[in-house]
Amino acid sequence: MPAIYITGIGIVSALGVGQTAQLEALRSGRTGLSTSAHLRSTHGSAFPFGEVPFSTDELMEMVSSREHLHPSRLQALGALALEEALRQAAPAPAGFRQGLINATTVGGMTDIEDRYFDLIQPDHKEDDEIWAAGLDCATGTEHLARQFGLTSFLTTISTACSSSANAIQYGARLLQQGLLDRAVCGGVDSLTRFTVNGFNSLKNLDRERCRPFDANRNGLNLGEGAAYLVLETEAGLKKTGSRPLAQVSGFSNFNEAFHPTAPSPEGMGAYEAMKRAIERAGLQPGDISYINAHGTATINNDESEGRAIRRLFGDEVPPFSSTKVYTGHTLAASGAIEAVFSVLNLLNQEIYPALHFGQPMEGIGLIPLQDYKKASLQHILSNSFGFGGNNASLIFSRND
Amino acid sequence: MISPLYIRAARAITPQDSFKENELHPPYASLQGNRFVYKEPVYQDYFTIMQLRRMSRLTRIGLVAAIECLKDAQQTSPDAIITGTGKGSLHDTEKFMHSIREFNEGTLNPSPFIQSTYNSLNGLIGLHHQVHSYNSTYVHRGFSLEHAFIDAALLMGEGTIQNALVGSYEEMTSEHYIIKNKLGYWKTDEEIRQMVESGLPISSPGAISGEGSFFFYAQKDRDGASLAIKDIRLWYEPDAAAITAGLDQLLADHGIGHEQLDCCLLGRNTDSRYDYYYDRISEQLGPATHQLQFKQYCGEFDTAGGFGLWAASRMAAKRAIHPDLIVKKGSAGQLRYGLLYNHYFGRDHAMYLLEFL
Repeated sequence: MPAIYITGIGIVSALGVGQTAQLEALRSGRTGLSTSAHLRSTHGSAFPFGEVPFSTDELMEMVSSREHLHPSRLQALGALALEEALRQAAPAPAGFRQGLINATTVGGMTDIEDRYFDLIQPDHKEDDEIWAAGLDCATGTEHLARQFGLTSFLTTISTACSSSANAIQYGARLLQQGLLDRAVCGGVDSLTRFTVNGFNSLKNLDRERCRPFDANRNGLNLGEGAAYLVLETEAGLKKTGSRPLAQVSGFSNFNEAFHPTAPSPEGMGAYEAMKRAIERAGLQPGDISYINAHGTATINNDESEGRAIRRLFGDEVPPFSSTKVYTGHTLAASGAIEAVFSVLNLLNQEIYPALHFGQPMEGIGLIPLQDYKKASLQHILSNSFGFGGNNASLIFSRND
Repeated sequence: MISPLYIRAARAITPQDSFKENELHPPYASLQGNRFVYKEPVYQDYFTIMQLRRMSRLTRIGLVAAIECLKDAQQTSPDAIITGTGKGSLHDTEKFMHSIREFNEGTLNPSPFIQSTYNSLNGLIGLHHQVHSYNSTYVHRGFSLEHAFIDAALLMGEGTIQNALVGSYEEMTSEHYIIKNKLGYWKTDEEIRQMVESGLPISSPGAISGEGSFFFYAQKDRDGASLAIKDIRLWYEPDAAAITAGLDQLLADHGIGHEQLDCCLLGRNTDSRYDYYYDRISEQLGPATHQLQFKQYCGEFDTAGGFGLWAASRMAAKRAIHPDLIVKKGSAGQLRYGLLYNHYFGRDHAMYLLEFL
């Protein structure tokens, strides 16, 4: 199969807007988790959140051109990440077949949940109710596609927390089999009362900052953000002249069919997803230089992911950590955000430290890397595991 | 171009009595109020009371359609489960929004939240059949089912899978009907009343809302299949010229002449704003082609194209055009190549090239 090159990356997270803001925070071990300033929820100050530290209006102001966008938090986050990614890749020549493979779990819920109960009153009228279309996952994708000239091929994926990892895989397949010349893949989710209450009803939220792989971990922190990767093949590079930053060398999607929301304790799905991604990349587990774990810090995920890592890597577990200690769990965006972090790891040959770690889980004994480290990194494994048993793993490789 | 997908089994749960015999047959159901509403299957044949209590309307419907599709294909463990839905379980989304408000963000029942996630049905199908496999969900309105098929074709093309359960599911609720009404999706209640009374379609701005869930067992080889999807082409907000040129290109790419198209299923829905796309395609077809339409039986929804594909699958199995779908009879005596063209409110356009085997 043709190699897949990453030629542009763009990102917005609780650490700020753009790659530079991420790098500054990641290198200095500064988390983006804090109480919420913009979420309209009674839980806003009860839990730490990985909230992007700007209001929707402020975010919209930062977008360079926005004539096709709605005043929407989701679309602002998406646009900021997309414009950064597309700026980095070379402009597409005429006739280049480009596509947008987006991912989201809540669509424009943030923009709608406050007005929903008025909206469903048949007699309640507003001057312009076009924003109501955002209740749908496709709306944000379509506005972003229009804004960035990506309407010739577009879709949206929603597989809970693995959504954007699956968007990257779909994009890679579309390129490898010649349906597209360039796939812009990623995901976006904004904090909503809907998801905060959803995860709270599942008793999955920690009132403290999350502690992935810690014996005393007590749940996840929700976050928001967006990230996109521009993917091209070698044939495409010859036409665009884009500079490859890294490669997507392996990927897999594996459903473990265990439980609607919980992973199997032994991590069967996580194990298979990681193993198959490594195989597809033509690698051995020993070739992996670093794992960006899913590591949500829920009781279930970290046990199951930890056991799966142990089973696959034995006593030779490479350095690993979960960057959700910086960004929170950004749901549909997380796979793409962590993909961007993996590219930054590879480009800068460095690993960012895990935070808030105390003691290892009993019987598994995995200790995430806790200090900033320069390292020789060749291949990075990134995991995204979601509700419904949807597991996805990606391998990113240094472009030599 | 994608690898062809051979359809071995197809199942539908729709507003019509289409499920039990897997056939579209009279007497045909009309609207309930101002929209088409599912005729739901008898769930007790599939689930215990306890199981039923944990499932919502759309997850029951979708799961039953998936179960029967696999049964018809005589398979239990597909290599992939890939679905498309525009809205997923709206009932659950709404229920959870209401409970957040009602209980002021207090202690809430998580079930509606879990089932409102778009991939929850996929997970349930996997759980029900213990399928450990590739599993994904596309949520892009009128492209949802089509991307599920393209994904399956890509996985077959690279050799990762040999077969896939591919499906779509959609429901309408009274709240969502109101929202879409404000956005101009539907005909007025008065127009709908007149249509029901006279039994005649009225061309006016807006469609009639409907529902439907469809599952297809697609495979890489043609064993036991009666229909093949040879290709799928998609356009977003095209002009009519792009669609007519697109049809020419699609046929040219497959070396098929216009006169070789034996039937064409159109997603016409009497929405006067967008029916011209169907008119253009209709005008482009030759005298041989039987022209069919299907939304008079299911209404309009994000994944309504699934009804057309299911109807084509049944026609393929019986090797005959369904007489009640014909709007313009053609001269073709055989049934080999077919076209399915559908769009969602002028935005998401999908064209399937079909071969009846």
